[in-house]
This record gives sequence, structure tokens and C-alpha cells, in this order.
Amino acid sequence: MPTINFALADMEALIGKRLTEDDLDLLMTYAKGEFENYDKKTNEVTVSLDDTNLPYLWSAEGLARLFKGVLKLEKGHPKLEIKKSDYTLEVDKSVKEVRPHIAAFVAKGKKIDDYLLKQLVQLQEKFCESYGRRRQKVSIGLYSYKRITFPVKYTTVAPEKMSFVPLEMTDKLTLKEILEENPKGKEYGWILKDAKKYPILLDSKDEVLSFPPIINSNFTGRVEADDTDVFFEVTGTDEESILLATNIFAQALYDRGFDIFECKIKAEKPFSSPKPFNDSIVIPEDLAQSMLGLDLSKQDLLDLLKRARYDISGNKVMIPDYRRDILHPVDVVEDIAVMFGYENIPDAPLSSYTIGKRQPMTLQVNKTRDMVAGAGYLEVMSPILSNKSLLYEKMHTKDFGTVEISEYMSETYSVVRSWLTPILMDVLSKNTHVEYPQRIFEQGLTTQRTGSKITDSERIALATAHSDAGFTEIKQALDVVMKAKGVLYTLEPKTNVQCFIPGREASIIVNKKQVGIIGEISPQVLSTFGVEVPVSTLELDLSLF
Amino acid sequence: MSISDIAASLHPLERAVLPHLNEQDFDKIVSASKLKDVEVMRALQWLENKDVLKLKETLTEIVDLDKNGKEYANSGLPEFRFLNALTEDPQSVDAISKKAKLSHEEAQKSIGVLKQRSLIELTKSKGLQCHITSAGKKFQNKKSPEDAFLKSLPREMSSLSKDDQELLHQFRKRKSIITVSVKKHRAITITSTGKKLLEQKSSIDNIKDHLTPEMLRTKSWEKNSFRRYDVSAPVPRFFSGKKQPYREFLEEVRTHFLALGFTEMTGPVVETEFWNMDSLFMPQDHSARDIHDAYYIKEPTHATSLPEDMVKKVQAAHENGYTTGSRGWRYKFDVKRTHRHILRTHDTAISPRILSSKELTVPGKYFQLVRCFRYDVIDATHLPDFNQIGGFVVEEGLTLRHLSGLLKMFAKEFCNTDQVRVVPAYFPFTEPSASLYAKHPEMGWIELAGAGMFRPEMNAPLGVKDPVIAWGIGLDRVAMFNLGFKDIRQLFSHDLDFLRQARGI
Repeated sequence: MPTINFALADMEALIGKRLTEDDLDLLMTYAKGEFENYDKKTNEVTVSLDDTNLPYLWSAEGLARLFKGVLKLEKGHPKLEIKKSDYTLEVDKSVKEVRPHIAAFVAKGKKIDDYLLKQLVQLQEKFCESYGRRRQKVSIGLYSYKRITFPVKYTTVAPEKMSFVPLEMTDKLTLKEILEENPKGKEYGWILKDAKKYPILLDSKDEVLSFPPIINSNFTGRVEADDTDVFFEVTGTDEESILLATNIFAQALYDRGFDIFECKIKAEKPFSSPKPFNDSIVIPEDLAQSMLGLDLSKQDLLDLLKRARYDISGNKVMIPDYRRDILHPVDVVEDIAVMFGYENIPDAPLSSYTIGKRQPMTLQVNKTRDMVAGAGYLEVMSPILSNKSLLYEKMHTKDFGTVEISEYMSETYSVVRSWLTPILMDVLSKNTHVEYPQRIFEQGLTTQRTGSKITDSERIALATAHSDAGFTEIKQALDVVMKAKGVLYTLEPKTNVQCFIPGREASIIVNKKQVGIIGEISPQVLSTFGVEVPVSTLELDLSLF
Repeated sequence: MSISDIAASLHPLERAVLPHLNEQDFDKIVSASKLKDVEVMRALQWLENKDVLKLKETLTEIVDLDKNGKEYANSGLPEFRFLNALTEDPQSVDAISKKAKLSHEEAQKSIGVLKQRSLIELTKSKGLQCHITSAGKKFQNKKSPEDAFLKSLPREMSSLSKDDQELLHQFRKRKSIITVSVKKHRAITITSTGKKLLEQKSSIDNIKDHLTPEMLRTKSWEKNSFRRYDVSAPVPRFFSGKKQPYREFLEEVRTHFLALGFTEMTGPVVETEFWNMDSLFMPQDHSARDIHDAYYIKEPTHATSLPEDMVKKVQAAHENGYTTGSRGWRYKFDVKRTHRHILRTHDTAISPRILSSKELTVPGKYFQLVRCFRYDVIDATHLPDFNQIGGFVVEEGLTLRHLSGLLKMFAKEFCNTDQVRVVPAYFPFTEPSASLYAKHPEMGWIELAGAGMFRPEMNAPLGVKDPVIAWGIGLDRVAMFNLGFKDIRQLFSHDLDFLRQARGI
């Protein structure tokens, strides 16, 4: 979820209207985002955006374009004029193997101050990180136009054969060394891990522009505060995404008053960029009305569409070139609803009669919880994620089949719990200073693995801890549960765990099936947990009977 | 309090000491009542509080014999034993010690004392020789004041004469002869209230502490009355069995949805990418699927089977929109990856299972309340696993207006507020999408729920023909507010004191 900053005065200038904080709060809902903060001292506004498929909104220019539609200040596609030029970019076939696509343009005629530079870098970074999949799919470069001699070449070189001074550095490094030593090289080097030759962008004097997608050169790849002209290029693995990036930047710079000059891309299939998609979609008649439940005239619809910055051509809705999120007519219908204003949509009640039904297990576990609480036990609730040290080592018990996480955040939460008794022991060990008797229980989901078979089971476990706690007391609790359920059980004096005192443990058998275990916790286990009173426990698998 | 009220509220201990108050002395009451010191003391203090008596404590110094003193009181002080063993003829110190049965140390001490009083003389010839003086002879085999003093002990310090005090002073310089201790003496004076109370002795005898089965059987209770309790007195803590407050909150929410006509669904903790994401039309390179968001499991890494027909349709939806007219996501769908196991990251993983199953009824309302797991740092706002509730409504003719109505009903049901706003939102599997914000009296605007209409690219492969409104509600913040918790980790607290005291909902 990208968060961006811009100056309130800048936004007001782009829209041509003063804005209050309340205005911003409301306008941001149209962008599927949130107005986070306005800092009066710095005039800086912070907003966050939810829609990861609409990167054009991650800039003041994009937001202003949307807001102008919402406020009825401008309708339809924004104006964009792309000037003819002789700027060319020659693409070598070898890039196909590693980073096949490139597009570029030149923008001229406006002074780039600190603020504007920050805005451009902000959009560049957000686009590449999120939409560009951490530069793998898309990476963008901005250059000082005056230092470049056209035509520019996009080609590949062997990692050791080329060297240049990376941005913000003083020493020449080979491409190989950049990946090994430069911070950006280390951060993004993974993208090129399988490549034998690396992509490189050179001008006609063989001056390095950049080593995409890693880093620009310190000479050309630095836009300075009094530049008025910039060269923009984008490389990547996905053609559509790099064209989208070009369109978004060209429109943003045009909105700012730059003149946009095309760049001819001399590739296998030559084209001139920015390359408009000229995409359109047909919205089936009545789709909007039937999805939204609104009675909209054709004129209403046209008006809403144009405020959402679409154009209409015959029966086609023309999609602006800075958007590629429209997969299906429903996406356009949503824009109609957004422009209509969610707050203006009258509610309709659900009128169908349906009967609520719970899962059979829900009823069973809750009745059992009632009985156990009635027997004097205090309920605890724990995370389902646990660890093998607690579940097995501390219980002196062998792993009987566990679902383990392959890359966990914390060792403490590295497996899915397979039984509950160890969790109750953990609770007791954290409460040795608390008044006894302690009688506790937990009911919840556990997961067991047998080979490749994974089974969830709803279990309940009880523990009684005090100076006189023993088998008799915990068996009384078992009787309470079983009698209330009307279930007959027998005890078989052995278990598959090693945490009990031998001769004081049993498997609970119902219908010849083992459904649980009961016993007195062994002094070895108690001392492992640092519990200094006797403890007896019982655990039942409620899914089994 | 009247005399009869006092009589009726007497504790059994008070009643036990009452007959012995005339002894007017604590120790005597203890021996007469056969109670423990502390019991008598408590009873007397309670009675004093009721103005039945006055307790007066005095401290007395007692002079008594110590270990050696006890021996000397019996067999005489060593110096006199030494003196008595002397004869006319000088003798060696060793011989005298032997005769008087004195240790070397006692003999030395005796010589010192006797010489100082000029009762003996010492000469040196063939070792140390001891002579008795004429003064010494006068003291031989006489009762000494020292012996008399020791025999008179124990005595109170205040009873000692001037001479005795001088003797005491001397003895205290010597080892383990005398001890001086302080003794508490408690004297009791019965007040006028007390005297009146004692006159009611017979009615006090009829006051009982406990109603017993025996009394009920024999009807003896008719002749008795029962002790009045101090009902405001604190009682020992009692720890009841109790259900966990957060769990009870979740059950309350569950019950609420059942009452609203929703049917409960459930699904496995270990899911496949297919049900968790792919069937929800989330493209396989979606950021929510990075290793840093979902937990993958070690073994088995992949599910062995999925409904492969449906997998093909979902694949088509991703690649080209299937039959929906959508452009699709236009990438090569990875069929192996769709089988990959993960821990369920959101409750919505269950919805496509139900939408594609034969159990689905239309119109229908469904919900699931389940634990979900995401790769995240655990802190005051993030738990290792968390509860989510969500579900869907499926019915012919559903529109965004129904979605808006449903969300506003949630606000009323769960936050008891009409101050809500429904705003546009983004979820990968719904279009249109909306978020519900409710204004909480204390927490301000909070995002209560997300909702939307499932995309056609999701519905078509699952075989769903009717519109589906999907929704999900964030439970944790509402639970914390309801339960008065400050830190999200308290939802899973293991502190038994906290849980014993935590209020329910």
C-alpha cells in the first residue's frame, strides 16, 4: 500500500482550487485511499493508496487529474501532445535474453526544482517497488538531457567488460563489482542472478547512462536542480508494464507543462514511444444499472464516465492510456459508481429468508466448554502457532507428526500446534507466583501430520495444578465431560506420549478408538517447566467421537 | 449496640473466653480456656472493640538463672566450693580443683575471686601452693549471700534490694549465670457493659454458630438463636471456572450471524494457493503472495490433488478471462504452484470452496470465523495468528445497493451506530469494492468491514451464476474495545491473575 507526500499548494495549483483538509479527506476516498496527515509547518500532505493496479495515482499529478473529474473541473481524457523528434534508441537483439523491453522519451522546457525532482523520484520508486515487483518487472531511469548524445544504445555486455562510476560514487567499478560492492547492486543483484551478460545503456559516445535495473551512472544519471530537460527510459520484462510506465510519466510531465518529445525505439519491431494503447471496452447495455441497482439515464452514464476521465467513441468507452487496470466491464461499472458517489447510493435491504446454521462441531465444542468451565476450570486461549521445543522436547515426548513452517518469522511460532497439553504446561510455568489451586483448560484447533496427510482436529485439554492434584481429580473431570455427553469410555493404561508418571497414565477409549490421554505429569517434565506443584492433565480429540 | 446485640454477634472464640474473664489475667485465661495464645488475644481484642473489657499491657523485667547459674544454684558457686576444699595445710591448686570437682577455668576464676577478697594466699614452692587465711576460715562451709541470691531466682527486677542489685551486677559480668528478660503482662478490666453481658450468660449459651442437620432433625433449633455475622467482613478469594473473554466475544459474534440467518462454513488451516488465492483471481505474482506474507510449509510442500477441472478453468480465467469477456491477467499460469501448501492467510479462502460445492443454496448467506496466519512481526498491533470473520450473500438480482444496506446493518449490529460511511475500496477479488467506516464514540472513525461483489472471473470458473456480495469484518479492534484491552497481545493473555479478574462481555 503506497504512501506518498506532496505539497498542498502544489495540489491546489494543479487543480486550480483551494482545498481544506475535509476536501482532501473526501477526495481521497475517490482514489481508494486515505488522507493521513497535513503538516501545516511544511505544507506537506501525506496520503495512502490501496489499489495496487492504479500506479498513476501514486503522484500529485495523477491524483489531481482524478480530483478534477470528481470536482467536475475537467472531463474526459486529459490533453497530451507528443511532439515528433529524431531521438532514437537502438536496441540490440541480445537484450532479449535478459531484459527485453525498453521505452523512452524526452521532456523539455520546465525548470526542475528540488520539489519537482522529489516528486518524480517518489513516483519512480513507488512504481518500481510495487508495480514493478522490486524493479524485476519494471525499472525506470531519469537523466540529465544535456549530457547525452543521441542515438542511445540498449545492449548487453559481459559483467567484467564494462565499467563506470555508479551514481553517488567516485570510483569506476565493473558491472560485476557493482553487484558485489555497491549497496544498490547488493539490493537488486538477485534480478540478474541467472544472466550471463548484463543489460547496459550507452549514448553514441559510449558514455554509460545506466546499468538497468541496478543503477545510473554518476555522470549522466543525475538530474540536477536547475535542469530543464530530462531523458526518461524504462526497461523491463513485461512490455505492457513498461509502456504503461512511459504513459504515466509522459502524462504527469505534460500536466506539469513540459513538452514531450517522442523517442524512436529501433528494435526488431520498431515503434515510437510513448506508445498509446488506444484501448477501449464495450459496456453491455444495462450492466451498470443491474449491478448498481440505480436508475441511470444514458446521459447520466456518459457524464459519470467522462468525470471518471473516460472518453466515449460510439458504443465504446475509451480507456485513458495511463490505466491498464480495466480487465472487464465491471471495472468500468465500479468507476461509474465511484463517480456517482457511494454516499448517494440508496440502501436496499436483503429480503430473502434464510435459516442460519452452525457447524455441528461448533455446538459440540461450546457445550463441552460450558461443562468444563462449570467444573471449575478457567479457560485460556493461545496462538495456534507454536514450536517443537515446547510441544515435544519440554514434554519429553517424541514428535508424532507436525506441520512445520519453512521460513518462519520467529522460532517461537514456527509450527502448527499438534496438541494442547504442552500449551497448558506453558501457561502453568508462567504463573508459578499466582495463587493455587490452578485449574485451566483450552479448547481449540490442532493439526496433525501423518506422512503427507494433514488433519485438523478440535481438541480440549484440562490441567489441574495444586499440592493435592492427582489422577483421581482429573478422572472426575473426565467423568463430568463423558457423562454429560452420554458417552461410555474405558481407560487403557498406556499412552503414546512420555510426559506422564508410569502407571498413572491412560489412553481414553471410546468405541475402540483412542480419543484422548489422561495422567499425572512426571516430575521430570514438571521440573523442566519449573512447576513446583503436582499437575494432572487430560486431553480429548472432540473430532473423534 | 445493645447488650443483646453484642451477645448475639459473639464469635465462638469470644464466647469461649467469656466465662474466664474474671481471672483478669491473660495467661490465666489461656490456661483456663485451653485456647491458643493467639486465639485468646484475638477474642480479647474483639471484646475490647465491643467495649466489653479493657486490656492493659505492662512490661516486667524478670531476672532468672542461665545455664551455669542453674548448676551453681544446685551445687554452689565454684569459688565457695574451692574455699570449702581447703585445709590447714597448703595444697596444690590441682589437688584442690580435683577435690572440689572444678574445671581448670573455674579454678582459675575461683582463685581470682578468693584472692581479691583476701580469703586465700598463694605461695610458690613445688608449684603453686594455696593457703587459707583466717578471714577465709570464717567463710568456710557457710551459706553465702551469693548462693542465697541464686536460689531465690527467678524474681522480678523491681523486687531486688540494693545488695541484690550489686550481686546481680557482679553476676552479669560472669558467663551464663543470669538472664534478664522482658515479660508482657496483660491485665483485663471488665467494663460495665462487660458486667451486664456476663449476667446474660444463659442466653449466650443458647447462641449457635452453625445450623446442623442434627439440629434440624431434633428441632433443637427452636430453643437456640444463631450468631449474627459481620456481613461486611471480607472473605477469602474464590476462583471460579470461567470462559475466556476474547473467546466469548468471538462466540457472541458467531451467534449474532446465526441469528441474522447466515450459515457457518469452515475449512482447513493448511490451504493450497489454489483455494487461498488463485480461485480468488489473485494473479500469481501478486505481492500478497510473496514469501514475506504467507507461511509456506516444509512438508508436504504441495497438495497431491485438487479438483483439476476447476483448476483448468481458473487457469483460463487468469490467462485469458475464461468465458467472462475479461482480458484476464495475461500471464502463464503455474499449475504446480497452485497446488502449493500455505497456512490460510485470510478467511475468504473458504468462500470459493463453498461457492463451488453442491451444498451451496441460492439464495444463501454464509460466514466463516477462523484463525488466519501471516508472516509479520509480532508487536502491540500484530499477533502471530488472528481471527477473521467473513462470508458472502448469493442471490439473483443483488446490487451495490444491497451491499450498502448489508454494511450499514453490520454497523448497527456490531457498533450500535448510524454514523457510518461507505467508501470505495480495493480488493483483488471484488469489483465494485467498498469499505465501511463507523464512528466509534471513543476510537473515532474505524474501518469495520470490507466488502464487494465477487468478480466474474472468479465466479465463472466456480460455476456461480448469480451475483455474490462478499464481506469481511475486522474483529480484533472491536474485541479490544469491548473488553477494555489496551494491547492486542492481551487477547491471548496467559496471565491467570488477569484472566481470573477479566470481565466478560
